[in-house]
Amino acid sequence: MSISPIGPVTALPSLPGLASVKAAAPPAEDFSSMLLGGIDKLQGLHSTTDALAVQAATGDLQDISDYMIASTKSSVATEMTVAVRNKAVEAFTEIMRMQV
Amino acid sequence: MAMFAAFDVAGSGLRTTRKWLDAVSDNIANINTATRTDEEAFRSRMIVAEAEQYGSGGGVRVAGAVFGSAEGRMVHQPDHPLADAEGYIRMPDIDLGDQMTSLMIAQRGYQANLSVVERAKDAYSQALRLGQR
Repeated sequence: MSISPIGPVTALPSLPGLASVKAAAPPAEDFSSMLLGGIDKLQGLHSTTDALAVQAATGDLQDISDYMIASTKSSVATEMTVAVRNKAVEAFTEIMRMQV
Repeated sequence: MAMFAAFDVAGSGLRTTRKWLDAVSDNIANINTATRTDEEAFRSRMIVAEAEQYGSGGGVRVAGAVFGSAEGRMVHQPDHPLADAEGYIRMPDIDLGDQMTSLMIAQRGYQANLSVVERAKDAYSQALRLGQR
């Protein structure tokens, strides 16, 4: 039987799906701006709660549940910000402890 | 959805149930309000609740109020100051049993929404304790 000789390597046909694949975009904002944005939102939550507290004290408030929900939201958001800060400080001290 | 969406949704439920409680209390307070026969009777108020779209926050809101019949009941009371020539006055057509049932349902709905807020707060606080040693 005759064996055909090995031909030269031809160029690969282009894969059809390659055109739609884009490079992964780098994250839009870094950690410090996320942290500062979180603190701004926390400030907003606190001012909303304070305004509702004044309304509740003067008797203008229609729904007492509005004030309680706003104060719950701001307390949970404060806890979260404190936890993020603690983690960041812990990571920082961990790095500072590294022997040069 | 926002971060604490459960709070907002439960808050909308609390507002709507509170308005339902107000409407029921209004009906019960006016259950003996008599009017002349040539005027309309006190009309009971029923709240219409409508669901908000889940994509834009979810929850419930009051779409409007529906009023009961203006006919009322004709009651024969000749010595009433508002009685007409035949001695009839118009009383509202409100059933106290229906209103008390609505009151209990509204109260339970309010309590259910409150427990949603409490449990969501516990759940979020537990999540914050994940990273603690």
